[in-house]
Amino acid sequence: MSSEQNPHEPLVERVLVGFDLTAEHHVAHCAPCQTERQKLEEALQQFGAANREYASRSEDFWDKQAAQIQQKRRESSNRARVVGALAPALAMLLFVGVFLVSQSPHVEPSAQTVPAVQTDSDHELLVAVERAVESDTPQALAPVAWMEEENDGSTSLPARSNQKESRSHEN
Amino acid sequence: MENALTSALGTAVQPVTAEEFDSIVRRHQRRVHRFLLTLLHDPDEADNLTQECFLRAYQNLRNFRGESSLETWLLRIAANLARDHARNRKVSFWKRLLGMDGADDDGAAQHVPSGQASPERILLAREDVRAVWNAANQLPQQQRAVFLLRFVEEMELSEIAAALDLQVGSVKTHLFRALQSVRSKLGDVR
Repeated sequence: MSSEQNPHEPLVERVLVGFDLTAEHHVAHCAPCQTERQKLEEALQQFGAANREYASRSEDFWDKQAAQIQQKRRESSNRARVVGALAPALAMLLFVGVFLVSQSPHVEPSAQTVPAVQTDSDHELLVAVERAVESDTPQALAPVAWMEEENDGSTSLPARSNQKESRSHEN
Repeated sequence: MENALTSALGTAVQPVTAEEFDSIVRRHQRRVHRFLLTLLHDPDEADNLTQECFLRAYQNLRNFRGESSLETWLLRIAANLARDHARNRKVSFWKRLLGMDGADDDGAAQHVPSGQASPERILLAREDVRAVWNAANQLPQQQRAVFLLRFVEEMELSEIAAALDLQVGSVKTHLFRALQSVRSKLGDVR
């Protein structure tokens, strides 16, 4: 059945594919081609029959498969039903949400002044911290320091503080 | 291939009740399963994809316009599922490597109908079937699908074209090339 045995081989395939009258005519009058065609057709018929037999299953198998498909179909239907039921509710919620937002009282642009106030208080806080850090004496101990200053007659501390404050945020 | 449900669906795309769809399943599940099994050689996957095929059909019934028969439409869904499955080569590779692949290597060769034939003739028939089976396995996906639909499902070329969404001329070309390959393998065996 090799190509050396039959030089007309492609014609057999063309006949099996069908609708080729020239090939049909040739094969009908060519003994080797007829033999080849019969052998190939026989093999293909056996192949088809064997595959159909191979794929055959018991009735239990088909019943079980049909039941599984039925179950999946029901699950799919239920999902679709839930989605179908929830969609209008979600749309309504969205609509209500948009409506509420649009109907809420208009907020005055006082929010713009808040940052300014905030900035001022931040600045004051920063200055206070700088003063506390730069002072040699903690605020809680200031009376003690004054007493010592009075005793020593020292005036150097206020002078140093003034120098530092010239570089501070108070400006 | 036409049946009452098919024509009912085809004429007006009427809504199908659950009971009618279950009837469609019972009527066509064998052919869809057989097509997938011969295409994939994996009984488990064939079963899974058959179920998936009918589920998709159910979800898309409204898109069925009756231009082809219902069975052809179902086979088209099955062919698309099989093609997508074949594309997932990484999974197949790892399944094969780990021995989890349920593919049946011997295939249909052991299922040659014996009838009244002699043991010697049955043996020869098995050899032929095995050779055709192996040759079909080596065909490209589209050629294999055309070949199997023609010689296992015994479908007409126009039906194959409708099932695989091809022109009839393309079906002929695929079939011609498939036959050449199969015949070549068959010749080597003989």
